[in-house]
Amino acid sequence: MVRDADVHDSGGIDRRGLLKAVGGTAVAAALAGCSSLLEGDGEDGPGQADGTVTDEPIEAGMLTFTRGAAGVLGIQAQRGAELAVQRINDVGGIAGRREITLEVVDEGDSPLDSYNQFIEEGKDVTFGPISSGTHAQIAPEVESNEVVNVGTDGTVTTLYEETVPDPTYSFRFQNYDVMECVTMAREAVARLGADSIETVAGVNPGYTFGEDEMAVFTRAIQKLTGAEVVYEGFPELGASDMSNHITSVNDEEPDVTFTSLWGGDVTTFLRQASANDMFDNTTVVGSILYSAAGDVPGDAIEGTELYSGSRNFYWDHPRTGNWQPGRELFEAAQDQDGVSIPNAHYMSGYGAVTAWATAVEKAIDLLGSYPSQEQIATVLEGHGFFTPAGYHVMAEDHQGMSNAVAGQMVYDEDLGGARLEDVNIYSPSETAPSPGTTASDWLDSWSG
Amino acid sequence: MASGLETLVVQTLNGLQFGFVLFLVASGLTVILGILDVLNLAHGELFAFGAYASVGIFGYVTGAIAAPVSGGIGTTIVFVIGILAAIVVTGLVLIPVGVVLESVFLRPIYERDQVYQLVLTFALLLIIIDVTKFVWGDVPIRTNSVYSGINQIPTSELLGITFPTYNVFAIVLGAVVVVGLFYFFARTKTGRIVRATAINREMATAIGVSTDRVFTLVFALGAFLAGIAGAVRVPPTAATLEMGTNPLVLSFVVIVIGGLGSLRGAFVGAVVVGVLRSWMISFYPPGEIAAPFAIMAVILLVKPEGLFGTWGETA
Repeated sequence: MVRDADVHDSGGIDRRGLLKAVGGTAVAAALAGCSSLLEGDGEDGPGQADGTVTDEPIEAGMLTFTRGAAGVLGIQAQRGAELAVQRINDVGGIAGRREITLEVVDEGDSPLDSYNQFIEEGKDVTFGPISSGTHAQIAPEVESNEVVNVGTDGTVTTLYEETVPDPTYSFRFQNYDVMECVTMAREAVARLGADSIETVAGVNPGYTFGEDEMAVFTRAIQKLTGAEVVYEGFPELGASDMSNHITSVNDEEPDVTFTSLWGGDVTTFLRQASANDMFDNTTVVGSILYSAAGDVPGDAIEGTELYSGSRNFYWDHPRTGNWQPGRELFEAAQDQDGVSIPNAHYMSGYGAVTAWATAVEKAIDLLGSYPSQEQIATVLEGHGFFTPAGYHVMAEDHQGMSNAVAGQMVYDEDLGGARLEDVNIYSPSETAPSPGTTASDWLDSWSG
Repeated sequence: MASGLETLVVQTLNGLQFGFVLFLVASGLTVILGILDVLNLAHGELFAFGAYASVGIFGYVTGAIAAPVSGGIGTTIVFVIGILAAIVVTGLVLIPVGVVLESVFLRPIYERDQVYQLVLTFALLLIIIDVTKFVWGDVPIRTNSVYSGINQIPTSELLGITFPTYNVFAIVLGAVVVVGLFYFFARTKTGRIVRATAINREMATAIGVSTDRVFTLVFALGAFLAGIAGAVRVPPTAATLEMGTNPLVLSFVVIVIGGLGSLRGAFVGAVVVGVLRSWMISFYPPGEIAAPFAIMAVILLVKPEGLFGTWGETA
């Protein structure tokens, strides 16, 4: 774990050093948020076309939620992807020649049909989805269609352990469920101390995602503290009334209450928890509470001990005051429709496009021509790249590996939403098994 | 740690609060079914439409009236009256919506087979969702100061239990609507005409009752109640495009338990479903969804007409 204050801006850097650092191309620099350092320099660098790459536009498709309760997250992913595409096109496109057109389709209606429609239309790459259920549906199709897909949301562990155990064309960028739950177990211990956590409870979404998150968090926190689970509640998605679960938590007064509620459910939960004095009885840790940053009721969380993860991205880490890539990303996001405060879902869209685009440019450098789908997939394995959130690696098992972020969630009047204070950073080695090891075996291997 | 008895009391109150809001939805559905003989699949969307409409109305009221301050009885009374007025206005906004739906869409097909009514009300369900989306957008919207403002008023603390004042407010409001509805149908001339029409439509027509007007009145009343329910539900949560589905499904359960078209049955059914659901979440969470349907199944087997039979002879 690294404390926020331990991270420092790296200071000035020349063009050659910058390109080398971020992956060698203008696209990589632009996606790392460093394009302003390249302005006025017309020199061709690595990744530039040498005549072997056509100027035919690249057709990309994206599945995400664009409406309804889940649209709160899905639109963030869409806007993140759109910003990444815009930045690529602003420097001339892939290899300086091939601009990207991104078609976005709502994931809520027949997502498998929508995905197959993308393939029939000849899309060169697909991004998304958000839902773990949809991901399990389309990942086998991705493998049979042999067109690279980079998933935006982390979704669930079983995707690459059971659903598609040996993927070739399917990748995902964002931290997955084990990473975010282990992060919050470690965060609870970091904040309260292992000796202070004897009982835990959970209020999680009443479907597979919420049940999986609670199960992983329970295993991790029990290994770290030996705590007893005293209550598990699973309100249905979009529940308007969570008072029964909150009353049950009040009845048990657990040391820690874990939640993986997301989007609008977070606001409902926090509001009703505050009205029922729940924060007087327990410390709440949530894997993605911050997904509701722009919608959090300030009066409900004032004076509370409330800690949230934010997967692999928190917009103000490193502090935007001295981190230009982060500041530019934040300002660009705020100019987009539907994004008041960019969150981890925003980065999931941005990062998925970045992973693919920087891998394609790397392949062009290696091959001297535009790569095939198989070649792109090969380069993506073990591929490292930068976004304004930092450095990421697409591991050999096709899972994106990034640092995880967690902090105390407080309301900021000036921001008009929540921010994370006193941020802690957890490395992938602290939150995820190494490639080839299942999450279950990894958690079992922890000394209790 | 709270005592077991206190937890039981609070969980029961949670269930009552849920049940009263459910009654507001189910009562409209059952009255429409009892009089018009129409199972209105769009009723849940009237609830959702009311929820969306209330956000703007609440916003106007809370913009004009300060939230209550601690110990300020005057500001508290003014705030509560303002919120009550906003809820009633939301219900009133739904009345012309109900009038249009009944007179333009439903009236031409009363004589047709019921399957036409089901298809039409399902179409209306989809249309209302799209209209809602067009007017208010795709993402949830909420009101910020109503819930916290009402909760600043100490009520349950006086009894030594933790229970949000807004939930007390919802229970009291629901109880007032229950009393008002029973009074309307039992004691007023218009209410008696409506019941007479439910008992024998031909006889009512023969003595000069305009069934068209009665039908429009009843549908508008159902829309009014759905609007009030939507307004009461919004402050602790949000208005969402999906929010109409669950209340509609649970309302079906309620009116089957209570008796198709029975207002008294709807009240008892809503309270039973609300409290049972609450106890299940607390003491046996897997039974939350199954328990109301299990009760409904038992009622259908043992007393198919429901606990209170059909509408008309009694409210």
